[in-house]
Amino acid sequence: MKADAIKAATETPAVNMSFTRLAWINVAKDLRLEWRSRDVFNSMMFFALVVVVVFSFAFERDESKPVMGGLIWVAFLFSTTMALNQSWARELRNGVLDAYRVSPAPAEALFLGKVVGNFILVSLLECLMAPLFVVFYNLTSVGPLWQLILVALLGTWALVVNGTFFAAMSIRTRNRELMLPLLLLPISIPAVLSMVTGTSQVLSGEGSPIVQLKFLAGFCVIFTTACFLLFETVLNAE
Amino acid sequence: MKNKLFLAFAALACLLLAFGTYEALVVAPTEETMGDVQRIFYVHVPAATVGFTMFFVNFIASLLYLWKRSARADALAAASAEVGVVFCSVVLITGPIWARYAWGVWWSAWDMRLNTTLMLWLLYVSYLILRRSSTAGSTSMLASALAVFAFLDVPIVYMANRWFRTHHPAPMIGTPNLDPRMQNILFINMIAFLIFGSLIAWFRYEMERTAQTIDAAHIQRAAGGAVGMMAVPAMFLAAPTHVNPHAYLWGGYLAAWGIYLGYLLFLMAKLGRLKKEAAELGR
Repeated sequence: MKADAIKAATETPAVNMSFTRLAWINVAKDLRLEWRSRDVFNSMMFFALVVVVVFSFAFERDESKPVMGGLIWVAFLFSTTMALNQSWARELRNGVLDAYRVSPAPAEALFLGKVVGNFILVSLLECLMAPLFVVFYNLTSVGPLWQLILVALLGTWALVVNGTFFAAMSIRTRNRELMLPLLLLPISIPAVLSMVTGTSQVLSGEGSPIVQLKFLAGFCVIFTTACFLLFETVLNAE
Repeated sequence: MKNKLFLAFAALACLLLAFGTYEALVVAPTEETMGDVQRIFYVHVPAATVGFTMFFVNFIASLLYLWKRSARADALAAASAEVGVVFCSVVLITGPIWARYAWGVWWSAWDMRLNTTLMLWLLYVSYLILRRSSTAGSTSMLASALAVFAFLDVPIVYMANRWFRTHHPAPMIGTPNLDPRMQNILFINMIAFLIFGSLIAWFRYEMERTAQTIDAAHIQRAAGGAVGMMAVPAMFLAAPTHVNPHAYLWGGYLAAWGIYLGYLLFLMAKLGRLKKEAAELGR
């Protein structure tokens, strides 16, 4: 009788929710918080806008054509970094991470929720920024549009999945916000290279971005797996 | 026992390094098209071998740490990453010195093999920065997770190598294009530098263990780069055609040895600091 009671007390209680439902609750929570405060989205949007304007001053319209892919992704990369830092900083402030460590819910659900939330946020930003690029740089796409969208989706996922993971890592360091770009940029150089090349290829119509798309897809699969396998370790590292 | 073994290996490393350098600079046949500058190859390639080996050791040690949580594995990971960064710095400095003479440019930005090496260097420097700035207690865990990511990037970039063009000479070991004398001298140098690198890593590992025991996780920075850059500033402005190839050869060798010796001096200074701190703590 006593043994049973101890066993019942020490056993991890089963969570009566599926993994996807848990992840979805996290996404909904993040989006609701963001919708009510809009602090991340506003600063991210404004930052990207400033980057676009500064670039348009720095480069002549004609000379910026060949480096267009690079400009677009640099603007997105920096604003993404900003958003990612904020997404974990909020959880740390409110002690959500500690709550998560003691909760029986799988840590991967929290991670998936964060990634999807950030992905939605960054994709929204990209949709709003695209017209600005068209206006400021007189941008036209020679290649098919669906390829551009595919490059953007895969590239954003690659950035966001690694970025969410490394943001969780960098908030554990002493110089929190400073650490994320230092960790994220070297890791994602291969992905950024192929995003930039792919985007430039579609925009200029020179060459097909199929190789880049395959490369990005491979990158996403490998690093998403690695992030899921290691996230619990990072969350519990003390 | 440990000390005697260390000294014996150090003596062997010194002998082999002296012999290998002599063979490389004096005995090895002069290359037909590049002349004497090609002799940088004997310090460039072994440094790359040691650097990449160290990064591999770092990966294995990090996996071991994630699995067993042993402090020894963590010390090995820290030591191998730092030594790897130093050797990788030598690769990145001797390479451009050779390229300036052979290609006429210091760096070819769209060459994937160059980018790979630079990226590896950046990754492991960020690893060292993370080790340095993470809060005590979580360092080993976060660092080993990052090490796994860093090593995942390597095969990906290797695949990318095939899709992009490269100017870098392809590996020639074992092909009939490489003079057998050159190959033998390269092997002597590779063995010499592997022993040299392992010794430094061993030394650094023991230091890390000491640091762990007195819980003084001090800052380690790879001191590579600065010393080498000071040794060769004069050549940076000269046009390649007007310069004696020997200047490049000596520049490459001086830069490489400047970095190695500079790193050893840095380690000695750190060792002195650790000993002092250990004495103060009464250990």
